[in-house]
Amino acid sequence: MIDNLSSLLWSLVDQTGLMHLYWGNLVMIAVGAILLYLALVKKYEPFLLVGIGFACIVANVPGSDLTKPGGLFFIAYQGVAELIVPPLIFLGVGAMTDFGPMIARPSLMILGAAAHLGIFIALIGAKMLGFTIAEAGAIGIIGGADGPMAIFVTMKLAPHLLPQISVAAYSYMALMPLIQPPIMKLLTTKKERAIVMEQTRYVSRAERVIFPVVIAIIVNLLLPPVAPLITMMMLGNLFRECLIVDRLANTAANEIMNIITIVLTVAIGSTMEAQRFLTLQTLEIIVLGLVAFMGGTASGVIGAKIMNWFSGGKINPLIGSAGIASVPIAARVSHMVALKENPYNFLIMHAMGPNLAGVFGTAISGGIMLALLGVK
Amino acid sequence: MTIPDTVQGSILLSAIDFFLSFLIIWGIGLILYLFPYINKFFTLDENKLKSGH
Repeated sequence: MIDNLSSLLWSLVDQTGLMHLYWGNLVMIAVGAILLYLALVKKYEPFLLVGIGFACIVANVPGSDLTKPGGLFFIAYQGVAELIVPPLIFLGVGAMTDFGPMIARPSLMILGAAAHLGIFIALIGAKMLGFTIAEAGAIGIIGGADGPMAIFVTMKLAPHLLPQISVAAYSYMALMPLIQPPIMKLLTTKKERAIVMEQTRYVSRAERVIFPVVIAIIVNLLLPPVAPLITMMMLGNLFRECLIVDRLANTAANEIMNIITIVLTVAIGSTMEAQRFLTLQTLEIIVLGLVAFMGGTASGVIGAKIMNWFSGGKINPLIGSAGIASVPIAARVSHMVALKENPYNFLIMHAMGPNLAGVFGTAISGGIMLALLGVK
Repeated sequence: MTIPDTVQGSILLSAIDFFLSFLIIWGIGLILYLFPYINKFFTLDENKLKSGH
């Protein structure tokens, strides 16, 4: 009788997560807690980090079935892996984004390319560390600071690295207010940071409506591998700018975007299981991702400094770092750094131009990379 | 020609990608320079659009 009872109790305990918990789970639970702390206390991109941090904690509690096949977090991850989520995010981003600053000042678009040197620094670095060229390409694209694009390119080049790359991309995007300012300050003078830029021209409704159609045609013609993402972004933007389907624009920008953000963040967080995540390869990817972000920030600022010299001091070099993409976080960082030098300098609309160009820069880099590596 | 899976290959891939990215972005910028001309041929009345459904 006592033997039976003891075996029953033992079997009951064995079914709980307690028996399967190991030190790696505790480390990752601590990582999840840090992400929650950054979101809730430091207010670093809470819309991303709350879901990622929470799902990371749950994924490392061995008893939970949410991340196992059939579980809700697992199903959410399938949406990411099957490339359903990234184009829908781009639809929402397009519906939320005013491309006016980029249309008004096309000269600043080049900063969207300049700020992507980090991609290639990380790519070459990853290859030197022994990754295959396809894996190195996927790691490099972290430097594009565009989460959905990083997921999209990774699923095409190195799907087995998706957890590490998506976590690195989204974590660094959320941590941009910490990563970028020291580099921006290091590469600019106080005088440069205080430059007040001229007002941009008015962009008419006709230009705003024609823009997404023209871009969709160009991207589908020149960059078919990444066309699904940019095309969806342009559809969302057309909803917004044509004014006649405001219900669709609002749904894409709010309801769809909110639902997809929940799906995406729990999907990413749920991939952070200790068994899969605590490896040397993860550490290498995290470091390379940071190098890519820092390299991109530096090259963007240097590119803007060069433009500033050519323009006779009319361009604030701080807008260069916004060319890294990550809309609108990077533009906000440029604005905040500029405000510290001059409280009346509202740089955000000027930084939005390179910031939006950065989205195209990442898409173009990713598209060319896929084409050169023979991936469709 | 495919890109070789070597460090030299990664440098080649980076150089081509970076150059073409600049070229395509510059091309898009060039098209955007032409956008103000749209207003000479085409206008959209925002009030009519807003009341169109």
